[in-house]
Amino acid sequence: MGWLRRVASLFRGESVAKEHEEEMRFHLAMREQWNVSKGMEEPEARRNAKVRFGNFNRLRERLREIDMWTLPESIGQDLRFGVRMLRKHSGFTLAAVAALAMGIGLNTVVFTLGKAVFGRGVEAHDADRMVNVSLIGRKGEFNSFFSYPDYEAYRDGAKSFSGVIAERRVTVKLSSAGGAMTQTTTGAGKLAEALLGFKLPRMSTGETEFTTISEISENYFDVLGAKAFRGRIFQAGDRAELVANPSALISENYWEQRFGSDPSVIGRSMKFNGASFTVIGITPRDFTGTGVVTPNFWIPIVSMPLLHPGMQILQDRNNICCRIFARLADGVTMAQAQGEVQGIADRLRTLHDPHSDEAKPSSALIWPGSPFPRKIDSGIVFSASLIMLAVVLVLVIACANVASLQLARAAARQNELSMRRSLGASRARVIRQLLTESVLLAILAGAAALLFAWGLLRVLVVEYADMMPPEWGTVVLHVNPDLTIFAYVLGISVLAGVLFGLAPALESSRSVLGGAMKANQNASPSRSGKLRNALVATQVAVCLVLMITGALLIRGSMHALEVKYEVKRVLNLELGFPDNAKYTKERKLSLAREIRTKIATLPGVVDTSVGRAPDGGGVRVASISTDTKSAAGEAGHPVLFYTYVMPNYFQLINLPVLAGRGFDKNTGAAEPVAMVSQSAAATLWRGENPIGKKIWLSTAGQYHGKDEPLPDSVQYEVVGVVTDAGGTQLDGSDKSQIYLPLPEDSIYQYALLIRTQSDPEPVSESIGSVLAVVDPEVMGYTSTLEEMLHETAPFGVSRCAAAFTTVVGSFGLLLACMGIYGTVSYMVVLRTHEVGIRMALGASRATVLRLMLRESMRPVVTGIGAGLVLAVGASYLLRTLLYGLSALDVISFAGMSMLFLLIAMVAAYFPSRTATLVDPIVALRYE
Amino acid sequence: MAKSKNDHLQGTLVMLVLKSLEQGAMHGWGITLHIESISNQVLRVEEGSLYPALHRMEQQGWIASEWGMSENNRRARYYRLTAVGKKQLMAEEKNWREIIGAVGLVMSYSPAKG
Repeated sequence: MGWLRRVASLFRGESVAKEHEEEMRFHLAMREQWNVSKGMEEPEARRNAKVRFGNFNRLRERLREIDMWTLPESIGQDLRFGVRMLRKHSGFTLAAVAALAMGIGLNTVVFTLGKAVFGRGVEAHDADRMVNVSLIGRKGEFNSFFSYPDYEAYRDGAKSFSGVIAERRVTVKLSSAGGAMTQTTTGAGKLAEALLGFKLPRMSTGETEFTTISEISENYFDVLGAKAFRGRIFQAGDRAELVANPSALISENYWEQRFGSDPSVIGRSMKFNGASFTVIGITPRDFTGTGVVTPNFWIPIVSMPLLHPGMQILQDRNNICCRIFARLADGVTMAQAQGEVQGIADRLRTLHDPHSDEAKPSSALIWPGSPFPRKIDSGIVFSASLIMLAVVLVLVIACANVASLQLARAAARQNELSMRRSLGASRARVIRQLLTESVLLAILAGAAALLFAWGLLRVLVVEYADMMPPEWGTVVLHVNPDLTIFAYVLGISVLAGVLFGLAPALESSRSVLGGAMKANQNASPSRSGKLRNALVATQVAVCLVLMITGALLIRGSMHALEVKYEVKRVLNLELGFPDNAKYTKERKLSLAREIRTKIATLPGVVDTSVGRAPDGGGVRVASISTDTKSAAGEAGHPVLFYTYVMPNYFQLINLPVLAGRGFDKNTGAAEPVAMVSQSAAATLWRGENPIGKKIWLSTAGQYHGKDEPLPDSVQYEVVGVVTDAGGTQLDGSDKSQIYLPLPEDSIYQYALLIRTQSDPEPVSESIGSVLAVVDPEVMGYTSTLEEMLHETAPFGVSRCAAAFTTVVGSFGLLLACMGIYGTVSYMVVLRTHEVGIRMALGASRATVLRLMLRESMRPVVTGIGAGLVLAVGASYLLRTLLYGLSALDVISFAGMSMLFLLIAMVAAYFPSRTATLVDPIVALRYE
Repeated sequence: MAKSKNDHLQGTLVMLVLKSLEQGAMHGWGITLHIESISNQVLRVEEGSLYPALHRMEQQGWIASEWGMSENNRRARYYRLTAVGKKQLMAEEKNWREIIGAVGLVMSYSPAKG
C-alpha cells in the first residue's frame, strides 16, 4: 500500500536529520572530486573541501534548530487556515461535528453508565483491600449469605482480616417519625412510565410508611473507614451500649428528602416495626457502603430482635441472614485469607443442621469487594451487551458518515490541493494541513460530545433516581462522563476522521510535479468513489440492523401484551404478614378471610378470588404422570407448572374454559379434580380428549414454601380445559399449566384477586384503609394484572431494549440520512460538468434526475441487502426476547427496509434535484 | 555565534541563490559552482552556511526541494524556485538595483574644488 508508506514518511523525524547529513556529505564529496579534477593530491583535496565547507557538526545543529522552530510556526499557520476552511464549509463542518458528537457522546454515556453500574466496588477508604467472602457448593452454587453466629466466628477467628462486617437490607415500617410524609406516587418515574409502561407496585397500609434499612454489624463504619456527617455513628466497641439504647442512623439523602434537613432529627425517637429507636447521627450524602443504594436508615444487627420479635437471628446458626465483607490485614493476600476462611468454614459446617445446605461441603472464595453478586444475572448481562453493541454500531455509523463526508469533500478539493502543490507546497506540508483540519474537526466534535454526554447523563440519572419511590432508598451512581472511556471513543473516531481526511492529500500527492495543473474537474477519482459507496452502504446496513431489531422488539413486546385474560380491571393484592411468632397460621388465615370479606363489600368491587395471577410470582412445577401414581416421581415425565386457584378464578380473570366444566363452586373442601391449559393437554395427551383422564403430580426435588399445600399422592381427574394464559417464562414453557382447586384454609398464602366494575384506581386506594382497620401491621402490595404483566422480567427487558433501540435507531437513521445527503450532494457537484454536457446534448431534467437518483441509490440498495442479512442474524440472537413472535417477522423486515429506502430516496432527492438546475452554458464554460 | 567574514553577504546570498535557481532545479553544490563560475571566482560562497540559508528559504516558501539523482548518479537534494520565490526574487532584484544605483551615486560624487 503506497499511501501507508507516504503517511509514515511524515512521522520520521529521525530520518530528516539523516537527510541533512546526506545533503552536506554530497556537497563535500563533490568539492573533493572537483579539487582532484583541478589537479590536487587526494588528502589535500579532502582537507581543502572540509576547510571551505566550515564546521560540519555545528552546521548540522543549525539545520536542526531551524527545523524545530519552523514546526510550531507552521502549525500556527495550519491552524489558522484550518479554522478558515472549516468556517467556509460550515455545512460540512456542522454535519461532521454533529455526527461524531452523537456517536462519541452516546458511547461515552452508555459505557460510563455500564462502568458506574457494574464496575463499582465497595465504598470504603482504601477500597482495594476490601473483599467479599463467599462459599461455593459442590454443584457450583454460590452462597454469599451467612448466619449471624457464623459471621461472629469469621470475625473473631480469621486473622487474615483486620475487620469483618455483616450487612443485610430489609424493609420495615416506620412510624412516629414526625415531619411531613412524602407523597410516594409523585416519586414514581414519569420517564419510566412513559417510555416503558412500567409502574412500580404501591405499598399501602393505614398511616405507617415503609422504609429500607440496612442492618449492619456495629463495626461496619470502622472497617469501611466512613465518618459521620452529623452526630455520631456506630463503633466497634458500642455493642453493649447499642443493646441498652436502641439507636439508628439516618442517611443524609433521606434526611433531606423526608425531613427537609431538619437538624432536630438527631436525638429524635422513631418507631421501626413498632420498636423505639433514637436517631443518633447522619451518614454522609450518597454513602452506600456495601450496597448500590443508600438505605434510609442504618440499624445495628444487635437490635434485630426488636425489629423481628420471635426470630432468633443472633443465636440461630441455621438462620441465614447477612452478606459478609472483610478488610484484608496488612500484607495478607487474598489467597492466604481464602485458606484461613476455608479452615473456619470446614469447622462451622459440622455445627449446622445436617439437612441444610450449609452442612454440605463447599469451598471458600475471597474476591474483590463488590456490592454485586459474583455472578450477574445472565438476562442483565445479555441486555447490557445488547445495549453496548447497539451504541458501538452507532459509532460505526458515525465514523463511516464522517469518512464518507471527508472522501466526498476530498474529491471536491482535488483542485485546490493540486494548486497548492504546484505553488510549491511540499507533500508533507499538504498532508499536515489536512491532518490539522481533521484534528480540529475531532476536537470540535469531542467538545460537543462531552457536553452532550454530560447533559444526557444528568437527564438519565435524575429520571432514574426519580423512578424509585423514596421509601426504597436512593440509588447512587457516580456519573460524570468517564474520561478514559471518552478518550478511547474519541481516539477511535479521530482515527477514522484522520484516515479518511488524508485521502485527498494522498490522492493529490500521487500526481507528479507540474502535472497537477492539468486540473480536470470532472474526473472524480474512481478509487475514492468506490470507497465512498462502500461507506454509504455500510451506514445503511448497520442502521437497518438497528431499525429492524428495534421494530422486532417493539412488536415482540406488543405481542406479549396480547393475553387472553382480563388485565385492566383485576387487582392483585399480596398480603405481607409480620415476620414473627405472634402471627400463627390460624391468625393469618382469619386475617386473610376478614380482609377478603371487607374488600368484597367495597364500592366498585364485582367479585374476589384467590390464586396466583398468571404473571404473578411464586411459580411451582411438578413432574406429571398420566400413568400410575408411583411413576410420577421417576425420571422421564414432563415437568409442568401447576397452581392452586379458587373455583371462580377463571370467571374472575375472564380466562375462557374451552371444554368440560370448571371447579365446583359449592364445595368447601377441595375435590380431587384438575383443569389443564390447552398446551398442557397437548403435551400430555397429544390430541386425545383430556376430559376424564387421570394425572398424578410429584414435587419431589422441586422448590416449595413452608406449610404450602402439595399435590403429591392425590389422583386428579381432569374436568376441563382452559385457554393458555401466557406467563412469566421467556421460553413460553409456562403456557402448559395445571390448575388445582385451592383448599380454603390455605388462602392466606395466595394473592387476593379483585375484579372491579370499572376503573380499579379508587378500589386500590381504599385497600389501605381496609388493612388499617383489620390490622395495621399487615402490609399490602396492590397492582393491576396489567401492571404485573408489565413488570415481568422478559417484558421489561424487551420493552427497555425496544425503547433503547428506537432511540439509538433514530440516531442511526439521522446519521445515515446525513451521510446519504452529503455524499449525493458532493457527487452532484463533481458531476456538474457531465450533467451540463448531457443537458446540452438534449437530456431532459427528468432523465438527469433519474440518473442521479439511480447512481445514489445503488450503494443504498447494496446496504439494505447486507443489512437484511445481518438483521436475520441479529434477530436469531434476540429470539428469546420476542415472546413467540417469529424472528423473521415479515412486517418488521419488509416494513423497515421499505421505510428506509423511502427515507434514503428523500435524502438523495434534494441534492439530485440541484443537478437538474445546472445551466448547461455555465457548466460547459469551465472547459 | 561568531560572525564570519562573509556575513555581510548574507542578504545578497539569498538573492544570488534565487537568481541561480531561475535557471532550473539545482542542488546545493550546483548553486555553489554556478555562483563561483558566473562571477569568475570573485564571489565565493562560504559553502557550509549555504545549507541553513537554503532551509530557511524553503520554509519561507521561496524554494521547494525534492530528492533526485545527480549527474554522477548520487542521491542529491534538488531545489527549485516556487511562485512565491519568483516574486521574492523580483523584489530583491529591484531593491538591489536601487541600492547599487544609490551607492554608485554616492561613490561617483566628487565635490568641485574651488
